[in-house]
Amino acid sequence: MIWKDQYRIGVKEIDEQHEELFNRLNTFLKIVKNDQPLEEKMDKIEETFAFMEEYVDVHFTAEEAIQKKVGYPGYEAHHKIHEKFEKDILDFKKEFEQDKYNEDLIMAFSGRVLTWLINHVTGEDQNIAKYIPEGGVKDES
Amino acid sequence: MKVEQVNPIYSASKEVFRNMFGWELKRGELKMVEDIVSKNAANVTIGVTGDIKGVFLFSFPENMALDIVREMSGMEFNEIDKFVASAMGELANIISGNAMNEYFQNKYNCDIVPPQISVGENKTFSSASDEVLKINLKTSDYSFDLYISVNENKQ
Repeated sequence: MIWKDQYRIGVKEIDEQHEELFNRLNTFLKIVKNDQPLEEKMDKIEETFAFMEEYVDVHFTAEEAIQKKVGYPGYEAHHKIHEKFEKDILDFKKEFEQDKYNEDLIMAFSGRVLTWLINHVTGEDQNIAKYIPEGGVKDES
Repeated sequence: MKVEQVNPIYSASKEVFRNMFGWELKRGELKMVEDIVSKNAANVTIGVTGDIKGVFLFSFPENMALDIVREMSGMEFNEIDKFVASAMGELANIISGNAMNEYFQNKYNCDIVPPQISVGENKTFSSASDEVLKINLKTSDYSFDLYISVNENKQ
């Protein structure tokens, strides 16, 4: 998975987090797609999935805080999109825990997440940039 | 089939390809067909329910599907495996989901059902209406087909 400068929205914190999210998903995809038998790479799949899942939560929380701070009018709709994605991850996790060696399930989830993330960053997230004041978001703490 | 039933899915396709890949879609041949017979290998059917009822079928050639997933993932693929099929299914799902917002603005309240992915050339698919519109869409390197088979279902 390749991070591209054109994916930036111009907010340092969000751009750095998006790049990190790409890196973590990339690590997961590389493990999923390598030629090793599933049994041999299962520990790595679980570890990198958890690593990615954790960061999705960190990033969504931070991004939504910025949206609120700048009064982004699309906040509610954006929050619902995040919630739906988190539910998709949770649903996969439940299925995966019941059927760990189902390679089709892992492949299908990985392909779906790849497309979802690129669309989200190049589509919905770009709308936030228009509401960021010149000079960036001030830290009030 | 009315223009306002066709335009949302066409404009959503253009927007998503532009945003995600920087590809400008151009419309090729447009024709009414009786049956949906896809000559391409990566086929995604999206069901539509509500004020508009029917199906959209996105029919991508294999090389285009492989290139799209390579473009997104940075990884090489030699065949339409479960990963590629699922990534393409999500792409069609996103386009159709975005189109739903425009249908809503056109006073059609409708929703989509999860994508069904079928791999293989020259397959026949069930249509949901007597009229099926086939739109050929072109990028600078590829050409794919979008079949629209919908009926108005407003009470």
